[in-house]
Amino acid sequence: MVATLEMPETTSPTIVNQPEQVPKAEIERAMIEIEQLDFAYGAHQVLHGVNLNIPARAVTAFIGPSGCGKTTLLRCLNRMNDLIDSARITQGAIRIEGVDINAPGVDVVDLRRRVGMVFQKSNPFPKSIYDNVAYGLRIAGITKRSLIDEAVEKSLRSAALWEEVKDRLHVSGYGLSGGQQQRLCIARALAVEPEIVLMDEPCSALDPIATAKVEELIRQLKEQYTIVIVTHNMQQAGRCSDHTAFFYLGRLIEFDQTAKIFSNPAQRQTEEYITGRFG
Amino acid sequence: MEGIADSRILIPPRTKSRRAQAVVEQGIKAFFGGNALVAVIVLALITIFLFREGFGFFGQNLSNLRLYRQAGLEYVDIIRGVASRHEALSRNLSEIRLSEVRAAQKRNAPLEEINAALAPFDRFASAFSDTADNLHGIVSDLTEQASELKEQLFARAELLAQRSQLERSGAATAAEKIVVPEIDRAAALTRLREGSANFESVSAEMTAKLYNLLAEAPPLPDPAGQKAFEQWKTRTREYLAGLPAASEKLRTWSPDAPIPWYRSISSFLFGREWVTASFWQDWYGIIPLLVGSILVSIVALFFAVPLGIASAIYVSEIASAHEKRLIKPYIEFISAIPSVVLGFFGIAVVGQAVRAASQSSLLKWISFFPISERLNIFTAGCLLGFMAVPTIFTLAEDALRNVPRGFKEASYALGANRLQTIGRVLVPASLSGIVSAVLLGLGRVIGETMVVLLCAGNRIAIPDFTQGLGAVFQPVHTMTGIIAQEMGEVVRGSTHYRALFMVGLVLFTITLAINYLAQKLVARYRMSIG
Repeated sequence: MVATLEMPETTSPTIVNQPEQVPKAEIERAMIEIEQLDFAYGAHQVLHGVNLNIPARAVTAFIGPSGCGKTTLLRCLNRMNDLIDSARITQGAIRIEGVDINAPGVDVVDLRRRVGMVFQKSNPFPKSIYDNVAYGLRIAGITKRSLIDEAVEKSLRSAALWEEVKDRLHVSGYGLSGGQQQRLCIARALAVEPEIVLMDEPCSALDPIATAKVEELIRQLKEQYTIVIVTHNMQQAGRCSDHTAFFYLGRLIEFDQTAKIFSNPAQRQTEEYITGRFG
Repeated sequence: MEGIADSRILIPPRTKSRRAQAVVEQGIKAFFGGNALVAVIVLALITIFLFREGFGFFGQNLSNLRLYRQAGLEYVDIIRGVASRHEALSRNLSEIRLSEVRAAQKRNAPLEEINAALAPFDRFASAFSDTADNLHGIVSDLTEQASELKEQLFARAELLAQRSQLERSGAATAAEKIVVPEIDRAAALTRLREGSANFESVSAEMTAKLYNLLAEAPPLPDPAGQKAFEQWKTRTREYLAGLPAASEKLRTWSPDAPIPWYRSISSFLFGREWVTASFWQDWYGIIPLLVGSILVSIVALFFAVPLGIASAIYVSEIASAHEKRLIKPYIEFISAIPSVVLGFFGIAVVGQAVRAASQSSLLKWISFFPISERLNIFTAGCLLGFMAVPTIFTLAEDALRNVPRGFKEASYALGANRLQTIGRVLVPASLSGIVSAVLLGLGRVIGETMVVLLCAGNRIAIPDFTQGLGAVFQPVHTMTGIIAQEMGEVVRGSTHYRALFMVGLVLFTITLAINYLAQKLVARYRMSIG
C-alpha cells in the first residue's frame, strides 16, 4: 500500500491544488455516499475531502495517476484498510444505503459480505475451484451440500467460467490461466451474493483477450450489482463504465458520466490526464 | 542529469591494471571457495570416519556372539532362563501379597490381623521359592565353569591375533615368543554337560513339588487378590509344562552350530538388551536406547508443537507490532540457553516439581502416581520440548509470514473473521512449512545430548508399557546419552567402542532422514505458494 503513495515525480507545474469545486453528476439513486472524506496513513494524509455519490446498478470507474488515492478510497468502502495499523479515516463519512459503515454498531463481517472485492493480482486460495467459490459460504456457516453446489454453479455461471471448468471443479484453482483465475476470483466474490463489487485494477495482469472477457463480464454484472472499478486503463474506463471519477493528489477532481468525461471534461487537469499529457 | 555528472567527479576513474584486477578477483574466489571446500571436506571426513569405525562392529560382534555359543554361555543361559522365570513367579507372589495387604489396610484392619490372615499364603510363597534351590545351585556352578572357559578362549584369541599381527609386520622371532596355550574346549564343554546332567532330575523333582504345592494352595481373603492368584497359578502351570522343552533344548544344543553373519546385524538392530563390561556376556542391542530416544522426543514434541505453532500464529497474525518486537527475540533467545544449564534446571526444579506433584493427594486417582523416579522421560521431554520451541516457532512463523498477502485479504474481503482466516487459509497454505518446522524441531530434539544425559534417568531398559502412560515416568537411556557417557571410558577399537559408533551412525541416519524430509517439504511448499 505504502509504496503506491509516493507522489508522481513529474508534477506538471500548471497544476496547483484547487479548492473544492467538484461538480456532482446527476444520479438517480446513490448506493454509496461519500461525504467530505479525509483519510491518512499515520501522519500522511492521502485523501482530502472527497465527496462522491456512487450510483446503484451501474459501473463507476476511478481513474487517476498512481498514488492519487483511488485504491485507498476503494478499500475504504469495505473497510479493508482496517487491516493496516495506523490507517484511519480522520474526517467525513461513508454511507451505504444511508448507513454509516464506520459507525461503532456496524459488523465489519456483515459489511464485507455485502461489499465484495476483486483484487489487482488474482489470488485464488490454494484449494480446488469448487472450494474457492464455496469458501465465502462455508465461513458464513452454510454446510448444506446442495445449497453450496447450487451457489457454486450460479456464481461460476455469472462469472462466465462455468462452461470452462464444470468438468474439473475439484482440481486446484492454480491450474487455470491468469484470466480464468481472475474470473474465478470474481465468482468467489459473487458467491456470497454481495450488493456491491469492488474491483481493484482487475485486468492489470491480464492479456488483451482475457481483459476483453472480464470487461464483458463487468458489463453483464451491472444488471445485478453496483460495481466500482479502479483502473489505469483509460480505454477500459471508457468501454465499461457508466460514470467516471478522476482523482489527483488525493482529491476528487471531476466526477461525471463517462461519455461526458471523455468527450468534454469540465476540468483542464482531467483533460490533460485523459489525453495523456501527464500521469 | 546533474546528479550523474557530479558522481563522475566524485568517483575517480579506475587506475589499477587489468592484471591486478584479475589477481584480486581470483583471490576473492579462492578465499570463499576455500572456505566452502573446507566445510565440505570436513563433513566428508566425519562421515567416512563414522562408517570406518562403525562397520568394524559387525565382525567383532559376530565373533562375540560365536564365543557366546562356543564357550557354552548360551547353554548355561537356557538353564538360567528356567531359573529366572521361577524367580519372576516368586516376585509375582510378593506383589500379590502387597496388594492383599493394601486392600486389607483400606478396610482398616490392624497389621497383626492381616499378617495372621496371610500366614498360610506366606508359607506357600516361601515353599514355592525353596523349590528352585537346586536349580539355582546348578546355575551358579555352571556359570563359573562357562565364564572360565570363555576367559580362556578370549585370551587365546587375543594372543593369536597378536601373533598374526607380529608375523604380518615381519617380526617373526617376536611372534615365536608368544606362547598360545592349547585349550581343551571339548573337555570343558563335556564337564559343563556333566554338571547339568542332573538338570532333568532336578526339574522333574521341582515339577512334582510344585504340582503338590499348587494342589494345596491356600485361598486369599480378598476377591481381587484371589483372582490374581488364580491367574498366577495358570502361569505357573504353563511354566511347568514348558520345562520339558527346555530339557529338549539342552539336549540338542551344540557348541559348534554355526551362527549366520546376519545375526550380528539383527542382534544390534533388534536386540532388546544393552549390556556392556559384563563378566558374563556383552549384548549390544539398540532397541532400549532407540525406544528411549523416541519416547523422549514424543513427549518433547507433545509440548513443543502446540507451544511453537500457537506462538508463531500469534506473532504473525494477531500480535501488534509492539508485541512482535518483544515476543520474537524473546522466544528466539531460548535457543541461546546452554543445554547444560537447562539440564541443571531440569534436575533441580522440573524433576523435583513433577515428583512432588505426583505425590499430592489431588492427583491420587492417576494409577501410576506417585512416581518413584525424579529423572525420567517426562522430565527430559519437558525440557527438550522447551528447547525445540524456538526452532519450531521461527520456522513456522516464517512459513506463515510468507503466505501471500492476497490470500489473507481475499479471505477477509469475503467476510471471514480472524480465526477463520487463520484456520482455513493461512495454516493450510503454510502447512508443509509448518510440518517441516516440526520435523526440524524433532531433529533438534533427537540429537540433543546434555539434557537427556542429565534428566532422562539413564537406566538402560525398555520402559514397562503395561503401565500405559505411566511408562512416560520411567527412566530411560538414549542414543545420544549413551555415546556421551560411555565413549570416554571404552578401549579404542573394542567391540563396545565400535558399537557406540554404530549407535552414532543410526542417529546420524535418523537425523539425516528427518532433515531431508523437512527440506523436501519446504521445497514443495515454496512451489505451491509460487
